[in-house]
Amino acid sequence: MFKPYQSNHFFDEMLEQDGTTRNHYQGFHSIMNQFTEEELREKHETAQLSFLRQGITFTVYSDNVGTERTMPFDFIPIIMPPETWDMIEKGMKQRVEALNIFLEDIYNDGAIIRDGVIPRELIEQNPNYFKKEIGGVKIPLHNHIFLAGIDLIRDQEGTYRVLEDNLRNPSGMSYVYQNRYVMRQVYPEFFNRHSIHSLEHQLSNMHEAVLDHCPVNCEHPPRAVLLTPGMYNSAYYDHLFLAQQMGIELVEGRDLHVRDDVVYMKTIRGMQRVDIIYRRIDDDFLDPKVFRKDSALGVPGLLEAYRKGNVAILNGIGNGVADDKAMYAFVPEMIRYYLNEEPIIPNVDTYFMRNIEQRKWALENLDQLVVKNVGASGGYDMLIGPHATNEEIARFKKKIEEEPHQYIAQPTIQLSRAPSFQDGRFYPCHVDLRVFVMRGKQTHVLPGGLSRVALKEGSLVVNSSQGGGGKDTWVLKKGDEQYAQQSR
Amino acid sequence: MLSRVADSLYWMSRNIERAENNARVLGVQLIQMLEASSEETLARHDWETVLEICGSNTQFNELYPNMSTNHLIEYLAFSENNANSILNCIRYARENARTTRDIIPNDLFEVWNNLYLDTQEMNIREGSLRDVKTFLERVKVASLTSQGIVDSMMTRGVPYRFFNIAKWLERAEKTARILNILNDRSAADLNKADGTNYYYWRSALQLVNGYEEYLKKYPPRMNEKDVLTFMISDYAFPRSIQYCMDHIRESIISLEGGKVSHYSWRIYAALDSLIDEFDEHKIRSLKENGISAFLDDFQNRCNDISQIFSETYYLVDPAGVP
Repeated sequence: MFKPYQSNHFFDEMLEQDGTTRNHYQGFHSIMNQFTEEELREKHETAQLSFLRQGITFTVYSDNVGTERTMPFDFIPIIMPPETWDMIEKGMKQRVEALNIFLEDIYNDGAIIRDGVIPRELIEQNPNYFKKEIGGVKIPLHNHIFLAGIDLIRDQEGTYRVLEDNLRNPSGMSYVYQNRYVMRQVYPEFFNRHSIHSLEHQLSNMHEAVLDHCPVNCEHPPRAVLLTPGMYNSAYYDHLFLAQQMGIELVEGRDLHVRDDVVYMKTIRGMQRVDIIYRRIDDDFLDPKVFRKDSALGVPGLLEAYRKGNVAILNGIGNGVADDKAMYAFVPEMIRYYLNEEPIIPNVDTYFMRNIEQRKWALENLDQLVVKNVGASGGYDMLIGPHATNEEIARFKKKIEEEPHQYIAQPTIQLSRAPSFQDGRFYPCHVDLRVFVMRGKQTHVLPGGLSRVALKEGSLVVNSSQGGGGKDTWVLKKGDEQYAQQSR
Repeated sequence: MLSRVADSLYWMSRNIERAENNARVLGVQLIQMLEASSEETLARHDWETVLEICGSNTQFNELYPNMSTNHLIEYLAFSENNANSILNCIRYARENARTTRDIIPNDLFEVWNNLYLDTQEMNIREGSLRDVKTFLERVKVASLTSQGIVDSMMTRGVPYRFFNIAKWLERAEKTARILNILNDRSAADLNKADGTNYYYWRSALQLVNGYEEYLKKYPPRMNEKDVLTFMISDYAFPRSIQYCMDHIRESIISLEGGKVSHYSWRIYAALDSLIDEFDEHKIRSLKENGISAFLDDFQNRCNDISQIFSETYYLVDPAGVP
């Protein structure tokens, strides 16, 4: 059964430093203690199987052979008191608002460059900056970021910090729903005594936000579609789920056709006009006439239709310039510059390897730093100094010296931990949180988000492609905290 | 509905029906094999018939050294090389269900996802007919469950009609194929012992699961014209070609809101002429040596209808597997 553990070096979501249970976890803890180990084990298996049976899988490719896997699920939720969530929600709205103004700015006037807040070359040399292709294009609501996924972590003191912005095609929203669904099916006992924010209305908010992006030349009720690379894409379930829940058509590139700069989809009744495309295909593959010529996933002529205002594309094209790991370091400056506010949720300190002094210092301290490739994601091309061998450190040293502009370094954050139950035992694992921000005429933040957990003991990598799992995330309603305490 | 999705739905439905049909044919043969084992050549002919109905003799002979029961079961039920093996039908049905999940009931996807996942971990002991029969039974139950889900859960809209049209097309084609092949066998066997005719026509009925229903309507003598009439033009037997074509026509009328338009007249015309030309009266008046040509022509016309159907609704090739 669950035994409290000492957590000296890490912040623990559930336990205080001395091993007692935090207030907002006490209701949960007391119910958990009523289960026998056998019951917990059985429920755990039921939960895992339920994902597989419902086809909630992602595809992992190795040697070109795809294997369908489920994301391991852990039943101990991340529970958040209401005031914590209020702070996160505000911080997320603030951050994404600044990032959106930044994108609108650099694709039009470029005031932030002129005023010297961000070095010109950092933007202009960014491979995802498409000024030539889409500069000056008028887009609906001036909104480049329809859906953002912001990754948060907590440091040793429990302070929330932004680890990464995802402004292109953040995935994982379907898992938030499925984690909640499975949790309710398999562990209904926990829900009777907690009052938590429901996720139910969020998808209709999302649908509304999609339809808010009516393109300039659309005078009829707009038709929206979700563009997916297809069922072999690792996030296909996410695409399917969102299309299904929003009641919009799930299309592939080959279903779309551009004629006279207007986008149509091929239906059994002939061609039908499409006005809004929520695309889950990367910029590079979107239109072979403009971007990668070899793309079979995209739609030839799509960009011209976009430029002419005949179709809206969500998220906007060219967002990649704002969410790489180098631009990340400037987001607090963006918030100050555009909004005249202080960032509500701080960044993790970041050192640029393109800067000679910072590089020199970092190269001497690699064993204490985390090094990341500014263009990579998913935990790839990354060095975690304290866990690395001498050979790995030497290899990254060489990489950094060869391509300094490709890398940044950050202090190793002692990611917070939460207890997990796997293979019949409890142990603490590192967690992070992806928060989803949806923007249309109004901005909504999905209550909670996707808690990811590094289930390999001691591991810091939470990505599902590398053995990470998921947890349900509860945002307690105001007043429930006291209730949880009483029910002790 | 997107043409691509309509196409996936169409192939999902056809593969569900095909999986069930092929499972039944193999199941029937596994029992007949035991009864006919005294006469080896007859047994061999039976397997050739089954291969022709559910796959290809040529391909089988390329893949296997001899016609052992294990090889035959392997080829018909499990082989990856045989596009129509039951396992492949399950895989196609499930893949197409995955790409149409946003329009079919979740339960329908789960039936085929479950069956597919189970077959990935299935362990059939070599030579165990019992294991094979258990597998065939599961396939049949999955198909029947699907039909129940579709019938009780789906709105009578476009996806529902497509699902059913594809099912009836597949079924009609299979019935035509079975009749054609068994007629050829029977003709080739004419000089052999008396009673072989009886044997072939009874097989045809068993292979479409129509033997019991036939006996309710006709005497247990296997008069070939009775059998042909029953399997081709009986309006009430749900596996007769008449029944399938009538229902396809009704579904198309619903799809088109009762109208014939410039793009749909061809499918109406093809269905109407097929229904007209192959009625009971024509079958009754067929000459002995005309049956084979009649059935050939008939099978081609059935195949044409699925082609015309696909063209009418802009269906494309099934999704390629990378």
